[in-house]
Amino acid sequence: MSTTTASRQRTATFEVDRPGSHRQHEVLRLLPTPLLIFVLVFLGVLVLTPVLYIFLASVNSDIGVANGEFWPSTVTFENYSKIWTSVGLATGLTNSVLVAGATAVVSAAMSISTAFVLVRYSFRGRLTILRGLLALQSVPGTLMVLPVFVLFSSASTYLGIQVIGTQWGLFVTYLTFAMPFSTWVMVTYLRGLPKELEEAARIDGASHLGVLFRIILPLSWPGIVVSGIFAFLLGWNDVLFASVMTRPESQTAAVALQIFGASQEGGAIPYYGQMMAAALVCAAPVVILYLIFQRYLVGGLTAGGVK
Amino acid sequence: MSTDASHEVRPAVDSAAGRAARTADAAGHSPEHHGGPRRKGLSERNRPLWMLIPGGALMIIIIVVPLLLGIYMSALNLDQYTLRKWISAPFIGVENFVEAVTNSPLLHAVWLSVSYSLLAMVVTLPLGIAAAIATQNAFKGRAVIRSVFLIPYVLPSFVVATVWRTILQPGGIMDEALATVGIHVGLWLNGPQTFWTLVLVQIWASWPFIYLLALSGLQSVDHEVHEASALDGALWWNKLRYVVFPYLKGPLALAFLIGMLHHINNFTLPYVLFGVPAPADVEVLPILTYVTSFQSFRFGLSAAMAFISLVLIAIPLFVYLRAVKLDDAETPGAKK
Repeated sequence: MSTTTASRQRTATFEVDRPGSHRQHEVLRLLPTPLLIFVLVFLGVLVLTPVLYIFLASVNSDIGVANGEFWPSTVTFENYSKIWTSVGLATGLTNSVLVAGATAVVSAAMSISTAFVLVRYSFRGRLTILRGLLALQSVPGTLMVLPVFVLFSSASTYLGIQVIGTQWGLFVTYLTFAMPFSTWVMVTYLRGLPKELEEAARIDGASHLGVLFRIILPLSWPGIVVSGIFAFLLGWNDVLFASVMTRPESQTAAVALQIFGASQEGGAIPYYGQMMAAALVCAAPVVILYLIFQRYLVGGLTAGGVK
Repeated sequence: MSTDASHEVRPAVDSAAGRAARTADAAGHSPEHHGGPRRKGLSERNRPLWMLIPGGALMIIIIVVPLLLGIYMSALNLDQYTLRKWISAPFIGVENFVEAVTNSPLLHAVWLSVSYSLLAMVVTLPLGIAAAIATQNAFKGRAVIRSVFLIPYVLPSFVVATVWRTILQPGGIMDEALATVGIHVGLWLNGPQTFWTLVLVQIWASWPFIYLLALSGLQSVDHEVHEASALDGALWWNKLRYVVFPYLKGPLALAFLIGMLHHINNFTLPYVLFGVPAPADVEVLPILTYVTSFQSFRFGLSAAMAFISLVLIAIPLFVYLRAVKLDDAETPGAKK
């Protein structure tokens, strides 16, 4: 019971969470305070040191980074103006926003209608489709990249449709690989919606599409946002397909940064500052999206139980 | 055979009833037999199944067709010269598979992939659980700490790899920091230690995933359970061990499976961290498959390797599919 006395001194710092908080906190307590603080500080430092370092290195000189400085001896922001042409981030970010954005919108639209049918109607093969969605989610990209590449190059050899090297190829690929997870997120979400409104609408003579657009859609924004964001991240974060299927003018930001990093090998001092500045710029949209929609995203993720 | 597996994961299933429900569902007259009241009115008539067509077509063209194509390609002698007209490439049967197993780094890559995934998992599990337990109770600033803990998970893999590549440069910040406490590790990004570098960076990037699932498990602990153990005067360690951990088993088993799949499939992290050709000690399966295709242009061999790794991935995937509840209770065919 020594933990209880120790905790009593610290209860003042805890905010009120449930009624009767003083006692509640002792009841809910899982770790003795010193251990709790140790865990929080240890993990906080583990996460924040590299994150802080990205910024510090991005304003440092390349020599400073190469010599292992943590705090920059000279501070300059010129890396942030160089990366748009040197790394090719201007083209890269435009392509990433286009491809990932289109993937997000289309996959959200397609997944809500697919999930609507899967949740609200029963038909032969429904369970097979649900199981298939989960299985397809885990099909590794490295397994698919070669056959998809061959399929797309065959489209130009045999049908005369140029897919490789365009943003369209990437878009279709990301859309397909985003669909299983997006649909699964929407399935989980739609199951939580009450059916009474739909039934009322049907009794009033609404069609299937009417129910989907007038009843389901307005209620589903949180689910749509989550599935859209996950599709966006899939496109934004991919290196594998983009490294094989793009040309310099259709390159995404991820590939631009990867190529810039790899091309620094064997030269004089690598452009560390620009690499870190570009990394920070590539990470910023993702982190901002996450901070805005954090609550939905965490919920959607644990509901789908999937990365 | 498959029913045996379902027994282990879902002991609650009455196998006879489950099988009956499955057969009924497969036979397609489920609404009349099991459907709740809501389905009576809108059952068989005009179900808008056409809405499944766009997504289904996409998945067939971009996933199923290439999968079959990949299997066919694994039986071809395919290089950069025959690739353009792959249909007429020479058919060589199982030769690619024989070469992959006997005369390529494939088995080494399988060993690297499995051991690196397991090692990373063994470390991330306690980290994630500790983080979840430490942020379970409310305190000032908890929301901020929860957001901070998820940062490594949110950062794109290519950013994480680029940053660690800079941190771990010879003479870089990591070497400098370790030198001040008298530790000299040697090269991180080249040579035999690269394996451990990969494990370390993977741990940094993926412990928040375990944290998330552990947190969701902790939130399912009933308040009464806390009350009871407080009344009993249970010490914190015993309370964790005997009261809280049983609640975490399910979410953590799920986290383990998905985490393993994710590690084994991870291409971006080793690719950006070490570049290609990768050092021999980090030539994990995805890297080997990629390099065999797009660096050595042995496309047929690479397809055979990809097929073999699919078999490897199928093991955790199968367990995962068996364990996940596909349906809610009131839907036809639900096994409850």
